[in-house]
Amino acid sequence: MTTTESILKQNPPGAGIPSRHSKKVMKGNIAAAEAVRLSRVSFVTAYPITPQTTIIEEIASMIARGDFDAISVNMESEHSVFAALMGASLVGERVFTATSGQGLLYAHEVLHAIAHMRLPIVACNVGRPSFPWNIWADQSDSISQRDTGWVQYYCESSQEVLDTVLQSYKLSEKLGLPVMVVLDAFYLSHTSENVYIPDQDLADTFLPARRITENQVDLNHPKAFGGLVDPSLYDTYNRQYWDAIHQVEDETIEMGHEFGELFGREYGAVEAVNIHSGTKRILVTMATITTTARQVIEHHPDVGLLKIRLFKPFPKKSVLDVLEMADEDCIIINIDRNFLGDHEGALMQEMKRALYGKPVKIFGIYAGLGGRDVPPETIERILKINFESPQTEEVHWIK
Amino acid sequence: MGKTMSPASKFLINEENIYSGALSCRGCGWTLLARYVSYVMGPETVYVVPACCFSIISGPNPMNLMKGTVVHTLFAAAAATATGVRHALDRQGKQDTPVVVLAGDGGTFDIGLQALSGAAARGENILYICNNNAAYMNTGVQSSTGTPKGVKTTTDPAGKKTAAKNLMGIVEAHNLSYCATASPAFLTDLQAKLEKAKKASGFRFIMIDGPCPPGHKHDPDISIQLARLAVETRYFPLFEAENGRFSLTHVPEETVAVSEYMKHQGRFAQLFSDEATNGLTDIQKQVDEQWQKLLDRQQYENAGT
Repeated sequence: MTTTESILKQNPPGAGIPSRHSKKVMKGNIAAAEAVRLSRVSFVTAYPITPQTTIIEEIASMIARGDFDAISVNMESEHSVFAALMGASLVGERVFTATSGQGLLYAHEVLHAIAHMRLPIVACNVGRPSFPWNIWADQSDSISQRDTGWVQYYCESSQEVLDTVLQSYKLSEKLGLPVMVVLDAFYLSHTSENVYIPDQDLADTFLPARRITENQVDLNHPKAFGGLVDPSLYDTYNRQYWDAIHQVEDETIEMGHEFGELFGREYGAVEAVNIHSGTKRILVTMATITTTARQVIEHHPDVGLLKIRLFKPFPKKSVLDVLEMADEDCIIINIDRNFLGDHEGALMQEMKRALYGKPVKIFGIYAGLGGRDVPPETIERILKINFESPQTEEVHWIK
Repeated sequence: MGKTMSPASKFLINEENIYSGALSCRGCGWTLLARYVSYVMGPETVYVVPACCFSIISGPNPMNLMKGTVVHTLFAAAAATATGVRHALDRQGKQDTPVVVLAGDGGTFDIGLQALSGAAARGENILYICNNNAAYMNTGVQSSTGTPKGVKTTTDPAGKKTAAKNLMGIVEAHNLSYCATASPAFLTDLQAKLEKAKKASGFRFIMIDGPCPPGHKHDPDISIQLARLAVETRYFPLFEAENGRFSLTHVPEETVAVSEYMKHQGRFAQLFSDEATNGLTDIQKQVDEQWQKLLDRQQYENAGT
């Protein structure tokens, strides 16, 4: 299947209740916990932080009820949460944790180590900013970790959270890369909606047990893991990592397709809505703002929507394929729910990087920071900006 | 070196569980410790090593000094990574495989204390061994909170003004099944403690005195003699607590002034100079008080039985 097919084939119309699923109303955080159970994770570490906490609470509760055969250990910090996952993953278990904001930032050192030890760890991050105190939706925490080497997916719905966690383990274990599944605080983590929960045997078909490789602890063949690597070898490991990271976009598409065949829900690295030769403006979004934008563009036949689901590594190929479908003078408007102390937000930076050398008109919007709501009226206001005028600034702040 | 003491030092190693070629400095305590620990624990052991001298000594990638598995981890994370290793092994039915942390004093007293406390409070089934050479030696002799008062380091060039943290007190407050101090000069005692620690379950802790010629500024050939003097002068007392039951495992027969231990080491040189005030007297007083507290505790506990 081509990238373009995968971009367009998502969310086929008229999907009824898929077979081998049960339907429940649940919050994004609960969907994450369900996905961890369905993925047959065996070791979970936990440390509370709003708004992630209900994920680890639900997991602890499922284990206590006997519905989930796993160990959950209450650690004393997020640094230890991730460091313990390192140990258990190295011994061969399938592991999970969830965190938010300060917790993720506190674990920063360990995130690097996990990635460069090539450990297949999946973690959910429910995004919130750093300081001064704020607990609401913002992607600054996870995006500031984009250079740790973790793959990052941003989810739009509870269903997508559940499906993405399952896909993440498969991708993670295939490529030896850790994956971060990102949820918007409250808009996704604490909002209830319909979720189709696959039967366990269906999940097992898609995600078999973790295959143990020579990169794990084998007591019969003792080795040292993580010892000093001198300059003659260090970049060899970097290069192997580079090769793996280059496979992520294609694997995401391939896996999304395979997932679609089994579960009836297709995924790609990006998703394009209403992008065709008549499209004059494209809104580029991530996570829950996408849902709002979907409604708004229904009233604007010349406005398309590009949802970035795989953010790291940035899916350049898929993005270029989408823009091929649009009018060549099309204006690109990136909505960034992150502020990392730079002129433009991270999404705009990545888009500029992907489009380097192309004569495109590209704008950035800071919106929804620190949890500020982004209702349809905000999207409408963005679309009222006169992007055609040469006087229009490149970056806008929208309340 | 003053009077030579001859405590029982029979620790026969019938089978080496480390390879040759350790990258330690001459006279370092780490390699000896690795030999003794690995002999007692056996080859089917997982060692977790945070940043410390031993992360270098045990060999660069892909080498491994130990015949067991070595998991290197981050400075602050030894007890946390060991927690993950432990649970994963348990999950795989390998409850009998020992998980042993080998850490320095910086990674134990300072940056790793939070993870250590967490694992100890959870009762993780781990043996944590701290080789206490009383400063950040791997980075070039900077003070840790394990550095005793009066010691000259590169970050306390005039001598450290505060006493070492009472780590054993902190660790013991977690209600451990076993904790002890040990010395590379008292091998029978060390062997007995390692065996007790191996036999016990839950979180166990041993702190061993770590000779360090480049850091303590002495000749490498007197490392073990100095370690012996540290115990005989009561500067580094040997004791253990089994399920909270305390006992001194070596009570020196004679009183030896602590200056006998200190005078051979450049790290204390400024205390012996002409300009020195009453630094030595202060340290002797501190050592005497510490010893008296331990004696009182031993007498109190024995009186209760």
